[in-house]
Amino acid sequence: MKIDATAGGAMRLIDPERALAAITGLNEPETLRQARRLAFERFRELPMPTRKSEEWRYTDISSLRLEDYEPAIPGLNGDRSRGSETTGLDELEAVPEPVREVLARSRERSGVWVQVDGVTVYHRLDDDLAERGVVFASIATVARERPDLLEKYLYTSPIPEMEEKLWAAHVALLSEGFVLHVPRGVRLPTPIHTFRCITKPGILVSTHSLVAVEEGGEATCIDEFMSPDLPEPAINLAGAELFGGDGATLNYISIQRFGTGVKHFGLQHVTSQRDSRTVGVNISLGGDVSRADVTSHMDGSGSESEMLALWFGDRTQHFDHHTLQHHAAPSAHSNLLYKGALTDSAQSIFRGLIRVEPDGQLTDAYQTNRNLILSDKASARALPNLEIEADDVRCSHGATVGQVDSSQLFYLMSRGLSRRQAERLLVFGFFDEVLGRVPAEGVRDRIREAIEAKIGQSGSSVGSA
Amino acid sequence: MPRNETIAELGLDEYGYDFVTEDKPVFKSRKGLDEDIVRQISAHKEEPAWMLEFRLKALKIFESKPMPEWGGDLDQLDLDEIYFYIRPQDRMEHSWDDVPDEIKDTFEKLGIPEAERKVLAGVGAQYESEMVYHSLKEEWEQQGVIFESIEDGLKKYPDLFREYFSTVIPTADNKFSALNSAVWSGGSFVYIPKGVKVEIPLQAYFRVNAEQMGQFERTLIIADEGSEAHYIEGCTAPVYTTDSFHSGVIEIIVKPNARFRYTTIQNWSNNMYNLVTQRALVEEGAYMEWLDGNLGSKLTMKYPSCFLVGEGAHGQILSIAYASDGQHQDTGGKVVHVAPNTTSQITSKSISKGTGRASYRGLLKVYEGATAAKSNVECDALLLSETSRTDTYPYIEIDEETASIGHEATVSKVGDEQLFYLTSRGLSQEQAMTMVVRGFIEPIARELPLEYAIELNRLVELEMEGSVG
Repeated sequence: MKIDATAGGAMRLIDPERALAAITGLNEPETLRQARRLAFERFRELPMPTRKSEEWRYTDISSLRLEDYEPAIPGLNGDRSRGSETTGLDELEAVPEPVREVLARSRERSGVWVQVDGVTVYHRLDDDLAERGVVFASIATVARERPDLLEKYLYTSPIPEMEEKLWAAHVALLSEGFVLHVPRGVRLPTPIHTFRCITKPGILVSTHSLVAVEEGGEATCIDEFMSPDLPEPAINLAGAELFGGDGATLNYISIQRFGTGVKHFGLQHVTSQRDSRTVGVNISLGGDVSRADVTSHMDGSGSESEMLALWFGDRTQHFDHHTLQHHAAPSAHSNLLYKGALTDSAQSIFRGLIRVEPDGQLTDAYQTNRNLILSDKASARALPNLEIEADDVRCSHGATVGQVDSSQLFYLMSRGLSRRQAERLLVFGFFDEVLGRVPAEGVRDRIREAIEAKIGQSGSSVGSA
Repeated sequence: MPRNETIAELGLDEYGYDFVTEDKPVFKSRKGLDEDIVRQISAHKEEPAWMLEFRLKALKIFESKPMPEWGGDLDQLDLDEIYFYIRPQDRMEHSWDDVPDEIKDTFEKLGIPEAERKVLAGVGAQYESEMVYHSLKEEWEQQGVIFESIEDGLKKYPDLFREYFSTVIPTADNKFSALNSAVWSGGSFVYIPKGVKVEIPLQAYFRVNAEQMGQFERTLIIADEGSEAHYIEGCTAPVYTTDSFHSGVIEIIVKPNARFRYTTIQNWSNNMYNLVTQRALVEEGAYMEWLDGNLGSKLTMKYPSCFLVGEGAHGQILSIAYASDGQHQDTGGKVVHVAPNTTSQITSKSISKGTGRASYRGLLKVYEGATAAKSNVECDALLLSETSRTDTYPYIEIDEETASIGHEATVSKVGDEQLFYLTSRGLSQEQAMTMVVRGFIEPIARELPLEYAIELNRLVELEMEGSVG
């Protein structure tokens, strides 16, 4: 393994010793260096998951060599011109055009963060929120100014065994992450909107979103991932740790709109305290491979967790969603609704577990996965699991795989719609059950448009008939 | 929840653990398994050379496969401590006097006839109503039905046997099917000729010279075109045995337009590891139904399967599991749709009580080309105690656009409203509970032959005694 220091400054992980020296030699606080060091060692110890493991049965990444990608870490190759400080980045000039378009459509945002190939190019937070103690800054900045926050929250989420290898890579090779900390009783009136863009093939970007809402606070965070179609593959490791304090409200919406070539791994972990309410949404539209491991730990009694997702696959796209609804405390409520539509040769996997611990009496937990297959080459896998160790619970799950309902199609066509129009309407109707529950109005329309654009491109009957 | 005294006294939960039999000098293969033992088994059965070869090959496959890491906990299962072959006539080592009182008591409460009790307790080799059996047999023979022990099937119908044997469940299907293929002994061989409808269920213990169900039973059933039959194995009453490991293989071929139903109710004693592979190949327009009840054993891993290989084939799996203290029922069903217009339905009901754990594990697979396949899976779990556990692990793999698939599962405890209503009508808490549980399993119990349904209901009543408070 060598660090390829000669070839245009690009570092790869081929030489572990030199790679370790490089990532721990970054100009950043010791706590972060230490986290990288430990994670890097863990990464080297662990084997890549194979299809022999239940959790990776349908997604084969055993031949994916993360070592072959160039980690996009600011300052890694001695380039100190853009460090990890994020002040004075309120000019839009370095912001990619597609992001500017989104920003121009609405001004209703409490804060914005734009990252391109792992480097922050734009960042702002409303002044009045900063005055009220809201922290929205890079992890490195928070490490210097509020080390207490990082100690309490950063990398503290329980990581499932199946995810450890990727999580270790994510921490060791973190490009740059942000912290959003909402103090007790503060409510953000509008969402925080972050954009992570990839423009270069061959790179590995690792982002982290740490959102902690203290007692009685409220925040909505939209994490948006974008790229153009890339000629060569790139990797995105997107970690998110979300903490809802007692009685807090936390909405987190991930929108994955990568172009072709990107392999996206979302690693999202929610921890909910007493009487808190969290909503986690995953919209997956782009990329070649898109995997999301989403866990929701209801540690406080009376907490409520809503988990939503939708995906629309075409070409040979591969979507894999793994979820855990973990009821460790009594009287918590969780409700999961994951819906996917597939055309061309797209594939999707849903594997979800409701786990109720012996202490989780009076749990209410629901899990629903619905798959719409729109072409003869598409395929869907559903594995909705339950493990219940308390007796006074209400739990159910349901999974379906099917086509557009022929009687509904017939009805719409009898009203004068063409087959194509009717099918499109039914696909939108299918998604609307999820979209209607997304807790950010402006986002809904944009997702609808993105799906519409995608339907327009796909080669299926829905797209081209 | 404190363990219920009445049930403990009845011993439904833990009979047979410390039962000691006098060690008489009989033929047993030695403990453990190797090539010599397989050769001995084959020699004892005077088998043709191909079967010995088949067994030896299976042994190699068994040795090469790792123990499964999913499902139940097999760590305590020590295969080196098991006798892989005991001649049937040497199995009856104990007498009626040795049978624990709790078991006898349960038989009494279930109202099982005296003669049958002895069979169930493993002290009588033959069912006494031989007359009944003989008249049935005559009737079947007139119709051309073959109903023999698997050993006699191989001897008397070598060609038919060889044509179908191991075609549904290949030796290498899983570790335990390989083990069974190496050491199988006992089981039935059944052939139903074309167009023949057998009215009275074929019951394993009616078979002449009925051996006790073997540890490694092997059953092969061929239902020829347009035939209809119902086969029943096992019974609802507790089966008493000193064995601790049972690994059967059941293969069924349902030819075009035939209808076949296979009912198993197992109530092994609580020291038993019960690992069974059951599969049916269902051809064009044919109908296969598995009715699978699991009440006993320490651990059962059993997933009856239907491979729907002919157009319009239908597979039906009804599964009921009752897991009491210390038991793990890891059961369910598998359906594989290969041909167009195939349909299937899986209904599973499980009850967990005390420290019992009931897991549903199932597979629903639709291959591309199985156009308009339809399947529906329903799993309901009832939890009776704070310490009970239930799991649901379904696998749904769909490669066909026009398939229509649904899966639903619910977990609940007996509803307070239900209990309130019933008690307000004058029922005791316990009666109300029992009634709710019986209602819960009714959709499956009603499919059982009457005498089995009655036994099952009585058994539930016994299990429910004192479960309130």
